[in-house]
Amino acid sequence: MKNIPAFLIVFTIIITFSACTKTITPSLNNSTRLVIEGAVSDTAGPYHVSISKTANFYSDNVYPAVSGATVVITDVTTNITDVLTEAAQGDYVTHAIVGKPGDTYQMKVMLDGKTYTATSTMPNPVLLDSVTVDYEVSNNIRPTANYQDPANQKNYYKYSMQKNGIHVNHFQTFDDRLSNGRYIRDNLDCDTGTFHHGDMVKVSLVGLDAGAFNFLKEAEDVAYNNSNLVAPATPTSNITGGCIGYFSAQTVSSKTTVIKHF
Amino acid sequence: MLKSINLVAVFFFLLPGLSLAQQKKHITISGTIKDKATGETLPGATVSFLQLLGVGVSANSYGFYSVSVPEGSYTLLATYTGYSTETLHIELKANLQQNISLEASSNQLKEVKISSSNSSRSNNILVSPVGAQKLTVSDIRNVPVLLGEKDILKTIQLLPGIVAAGDGKSGFFVRGGDADQNLILLDEATVYNASHLLGFFSVFNSDAIKDIQIYKSGMPADYGGRLSSVEDIHMNDGNNRKFGMSGGIGLIASRLTVEGPLFDHKGSFIVSARRTYADLFTKLVPDTNVKKTVLYFYDFNLKGNYQVNKNNRIFLSGYFGKDYLQIRNADGINYGNSTATFRWNHIFNNNLFSNTSLIYNNFNYNTTYKSNINNITVASAITDYHIKQDFSYYLNSTNKLDVGLESIFHLTQPGAAVTSQTSKYNSVVLQKKYSLESAAYVSHEWTATDKLKITYGLRVSDLAVLGPGNFYTYDAAGGITSNNYYSGGKIVKNYINPEPRFAASYQLNDSSSIKLSYDRNVQNIHLLNNSTATSPTNVYLPSSNVVKPEIADQVAMGYYRTFHQNGIEFSSEIYYKTLQNQIDYKNGANLVGNENVEADLLFGTGRAYGWETYIKKKYGRLTGWISYTLSKSERKINGINNNNYYPASQDQTHHLSVVGLYQASKKWTFSADFVYSTGSPITWPDGKFPVDGSPVYDYGNRNSQRLSSYNRLDLGATLTVKKTRKVESSWNFSIYNVYGQSNPYTIVFQADPANMNKTQVQQTTLFKMVPSVTYNFKF
Repeated sequence: MKNIPAFLIVFTIIITFSACTKTITPSLNNSTRLVIEGAVSDTAGPYHVSISKTANFYSDNVYPAVSGATVVITDVTTNITDVLTEAAQGDYVTHAIVGKPGDTYQMKVMLDGKTYTATSTMPNPVLLDSVTVDYEVSNNIRPTANYQDPANQKNYYKYSMQKNGIHVNHFQTFDDRLSNGRYIRDNLDCDTGTFHHGDMVKVSLVGLDAGAFNFLKEAEDVAYNNSNLVAPATPTSNITGGCIGYFSAQTVSSKTTVIKHF
Repeated sequence: MLKSINLVAVFFFLLPGLSLAQQKKHITISGTIKDKATGETLPGATVSFLQLLGVGVSANSYGFYSVSVPEGSYTLLATYTGYSTETLHIELKANLQQNISLEASSNQLKEVKISSSNSSRSNNILVSPVGAQKLTVSDIRNVPVLLGEKDILKTIQLLPGIVAAGDGKSGFFVRGGDADQNLILLDEATVYNASHLLGFFSVFNSDAIKDIQIYKSGMPADYGGRLSSVEDIHMNDGNNRKFGMSGGIGLIASRLTVEGPLFDHKGSFIVSARRTYADLFTKLVPDTNVKKTVLYFYDFNLKGNYQVNKNNRIFLSGYFGKDYLQIRNADGINYGNSTATFRWNHIFNNNLFSNTSLIYNNFNYNTTYKSNINNITVASAITDYHIKQDFSYYLNSTNKLDVGLESIFHLTQPGAAVTSQTSKYNSVVLQKKYSLESAAYVSHEWTATDKLKITYGLRVSDLAVLGPGNFYTYDAAGGITSNNYYSGGKIVKNYINPEPRFAASYQLNDSSSIKLSYDRNVQNIHLLNNSTATSPTNVYLPSSNVVKPEIADQVAMGYYRTFHQNGIEFSSEIYYKTLQNQIDYKNGANLVGNENVEADLLFGTGRAYGWETYIKKKYGRLTGWISYTLSKSERKINGINNNNYYPASQDQTHHLSVVGLYQASKKWTFSADFVYSTGSPITWPDGKFPVDGSPVYDYGNRNSQRLSSYNRLDLGATLTVKKTRKVESSWNFSIYNVYGQSNPYTIVFQADPANMNKTQVQQTTLFKMVPSVTYNFKF
């Protein structure tokens, strides 16, 4: 229950007019670790693998790109191999490979004598039914993803959003652990005041496998809920070899709507 | 019952250090020690004899005492902290039943002048077990607390070795243990969640409470079930002399207590009620979000007792409390404890005291998530049915034997979720968990010489994990390796654990002693919580085929000294404790709504050690105490920090509390307390990386950083408006955190809202200077 601290803060404000929030700058360690983020999807390629290093917490959100890696993605099911080329610094793209539900993909990254590997199986696609909008809280209008969860399998999801064609930096995960076979209506959290009247919002329902989902779910907790965790930890990667990040063979289903709020 | 007595007799012969043959012609004097004005029993009051050095007994938790001494004439002294000593001249020719009434010393200043000898002031500190401490409600009356609600469970957090979890957090840590490792008892009933409003207050309304007995080590064998400590809280019995009413009106809560005699003064009752009215204020706030916030609690304490005849007394006590919290029309929780205890004291003869208890306790917590499309209610509960039989056999002036049996049936309902039709969640009912926890104990209190007192005993506890239900086993990755169904009542697993207890005190001279203790404790109910929020939605899990009982072994030693005719107490204790089968969580563990929650757990060991010093001034205009603790608490969990020891979250190297009370005049009492502690270990990011364009944080080793130190000063003043025999009224003023120290409640690492290309750290402080005023009355 994410709202517990909120209860106490509201209560304290009411009772004592005393709770307060301030920005602090405790000294933090600085790690430099390798980060690999890669995906193959059932939408048209090319697909990207990006390789970077972690940045210091107090620096800008700019992550040093890592060049010179050899990146190979193989469709293990069809035995097609694609050697990626570095299109921009740290951004590696595919050429031939086409994502297909049910196929298993392997990513292999070779860098400075080390090899990092991951496999991911693309799930069967789940289609987004519609995107509606939750206007209940006037300063926090949120899109709602509506879709039917299939009852015959375990499903893992991620939502992503675009506002007027620009990616919104907020991701959210969901799985059917407690919702198998349910019709899902899920509000998509975003920063207060993201959406206004006239904005076009595109919501993508991304179907994941368990390994990629576990990383993303832990990443979501760490990114947006870290103060509630007794022991926050770096999300568990589905890539072996000792790096951060994930590789996902995923399905994507998108719908668009326009915010109408006066 | 007769069978049990035979059992007692068998135990006598089994026990070493006990020889029936040695008995000379001894006379037994026994009875109950009570408050003269109210008839309240005084547990822990001591009886000694001027003529017999080293012979002394303390009354048990029902105020009963019994002591056997050689025939003769004696001057009996009955003493109790805060009471004038009662002196009786007795001629002992035959066994004697002698009830004693003590008069509360209304003015402690006066007592200083009267008392001239050591014996008139209790010096329990010299003989009670190492790590034991007792506080009565009158001890805490003037200690300043948050929002003026005097609170016995908050005040004990100013004692050495007991550390508060932090502002706005419930729970406390004793000698490096976790918050769920404290056995909190209210009239013998287990209180699973002792907090109101998620930690602002404890559930114990001080108007209904008599005292609290704390054991940090040297637990007597009749206590068991938790690793770190025992907080045994006794409710008032109610005044059996006259009707009375008392209460208080505070800024956020009001209290009312009614008590009086029953059945022609053979019994008495007390009813105490309390309610907060923060929700009345929220309605005045124009902001609709706040207006629709529900935040309140109420609780009732009820107790009645009846002296059936000279040898039989029955007690019925109960507690019922409930908290409601809801933000807008969104998420809400409500939770509460209820307890009921029926007890029967029976005095077989001058030497044999028996108590039979039937106890029920329940903690339930319900969570609702509401939105225009999703409506979910999750109900969880833990219920205990408990039966307990204790015998105390006062063999002679130097030997006392305690024997008992108990059995608790635990019924755990981990969560039943009911969802609305449009909800994204399925309705789900998690399997109920059943277990039977039983124990038998025997303990021998032996005054070996007039200087050496030894208490040793053995408790044997057993946990039977019972069906019906599916019981799974898991591999290291959390995958299910087997699933077996057990039908109702079938034993899935039995854990039998012997728990030896040993405590010795050696009196060096009139004013100093040394003590030693060893104890083993076993815990079979575990609280799962991987969230910093003290959420009542936490999961209670009994030991199972996967989760083994937690075990703690502790050795403690101490030096005790009194100065100025017992007016000043000093103690210095060291302890070392090892912990087995400690529980932690895998990354991303799902504790809620998870039938296979055990697959998400990690197990390991722990150790804690420390040094505690305490000095208390008990009499005079200025009273109070200073306590300082130097300690370390570490865990070693498979899968965390490369399986190395790391500081536990409750590890606070230095902890200092200073409490001072100053009686300036008959009208004014001033008080202050100061708390300082080293910041708790915490895990903070070492860096960040992008996921879908959002910064996500990279963490180093668990608990490798520390929060800044915690410190705060509270001030209080009590103005006694009226104090006569009939009517008392007073105003209490207090300021919590006088100098507005920003002690952290939450620390968030997040995207900087002003610059989306940056990240920042935000700290929220709950209490920056909280003033309050309370009006208390009694008539």
